[in-house]
Amino acid sequence: MSRGAEWFAHVGAGGTPVAGLPASVRAADTTIDGVPVRVVAVVRDPGARFPRARQGEVGIDEGFALARAVRGTPPGSAILAIVDVPGQAFGVREEAIGLQRALAASAQAYVQMRRGGHPVLALVVGKAISGAFLAHGLQAGWIGAIDDAAVEVHVMSKPAVARVTRMDEADLVRIAREVPATARDIETFARFGAVDELFPAGVAPEAVVAALAPALRDGRGLRNPVARLAYPGAVQTRALAREVRARLQEAWDA
Amino acid sequence: MIALAESFAERSARERARGLLDPGTARELIDPFERVESPYLAAQGVVPQSDDGVVVMRGTLGGVRACVVATDGRFLGGSIGEIGGAKIAGALELTLRDAERGTPTRLVLALDTGGIRLQEANLAILAVSEIADAITALRAKQPVVALVAGRVGVYGGLSLCTSLCSAILVTEGARIGLNGPDVIETEAGVEELDASDLPLVWRITGGKRRFEQGFATELVRDDVDAIRAAVVRAFEEPRELPPLEMPAIPEGYAP
Repeated sequence: MSRGAEWFAHVGAGGTPVAGLPASVRAADTTIDGVPVRVVAVVRDPGARFPRARQGEVGIDEGFALARAVRGTPPGSAILAIVDVPGQAFGVREEAIGLQRALAASAQAYVQMRRGGHPVLALVVGKAISGAFLAHGLQAGWIGAIDDAAVEVHVMSKPAVARVTRMDEADLVRIAREVPATARDIETFARFGAVDELFPAGVAPEAVVAALAPALRDGRGLRNPVARLAYPGAVQTRALAREVRARLQEAWDA
Repeated sequence: MIALAESFAERSARERARGLLDPGTARELIDPFERVESPYLAAQGVVPQSDDGVVVMRGTLGGVRACVVATDGRFLGGSIGEIGGAKIAGALELTLRDAERGTPTRLVLALDTGGIRLQEANLAILAVSEIADAITALRAKQPVVALVAGRVGVYGGLSLCTSLCSAILVTEGARIGLNGPDVIETEAGVEELDASDLPLVWRITGGKRRFEQGFATELVRDDVDAIRAAVVRAFEEPRELPPLEMPAIPEGYAP
């Protein structure tokens, strides 16, 4: 079982499964410390009809199914995205059908539900990669993550980065030390202020679930992504993103 | 005398932005002389550019206050880094503020970009999440118009964002896709896609195809005047993209 599937089983235990989704998208309505929560995950489905989306990738079926699952969240319920997504589907059929719209569907659903008053939390338990993370997890108002080596955040595999940037893979390792934005580990990602809570490797699932409770209640799940610029850490690590906004605002109506 | 078309795609990002606004009204924000440039590129063997490849221009469009954001497809494939991402997100946020204050600003995203800049990967993905959120919020109040009319087209995280806009104007020479052909070939093998097969790439992701699928609201000629007129029309007679729902899957696409 993939990490995402394991964590979905832990967190969604005892919940009511949401019907009508492909086997690669799981959703269940449960409660955490009395708060109703819809838990949503993408999992591996070796029998998925699109061959390039059988390892837990977000493809055509997953993007649109995530959107349906998220939009179907009952009134008053929060949303918890369990994130273990190795990327978007890399397939020519997907491109022809319009993969950008499938990922947009999911991202839009998360944004509209969060802005509509449903707290959105994400728990990164495995890979959180590129378009898949944009579609599933990165629109959360609160993001938690497990701090171990299997948890990765990046935008493209090393061989593909090497091809596009015309560097070799050894260079990429050196650069990741000099330019933290290109690193792939969760601890470095957390320095940008986007991770609200890092759980130690091997943490008991019960402890994680218990830690979700306050975030479900205190409104942090309702914060828009731009609020991350003010989080501890981001003030230094994203100083340029803040400065650009300040300059734009000053010159906007000048 | 026959007037020759003036290509929009051959223009720089700055000239594209200027050309969309009403003549004499364009004013650049954070221009290259402010030298807000990426500190991350030198270590990676890339010379930074003084505008970071994104141009923000205020002015009027069809006589109404407006902002055009144009990405520079000639600089690192039009990729979005921390600064360029903040320019796009910041312009959207200010446009949203204007809408809430009752002083609406027309917002055009003239995108020519391969997506997230790999050299600033995780800073860029955070910026793209902010852009996606802001487009969605703004779209609830007014049209958000994307123009895809450059040599690169739009890929990656920015193609996700483009699909969140209310309208997309596209030229036949531009492309809209999620994964670029090189990336698909590297990740999935040449048997999945031969990236050098450009006719195939255009058949599946080219502007004409996207318009036929209903994934662009207008197919425009690569001509500065035609594009400017189409952009004004996109605000005055708005057309909406269809809702983001599962399309019909052509036979043979999913076994």
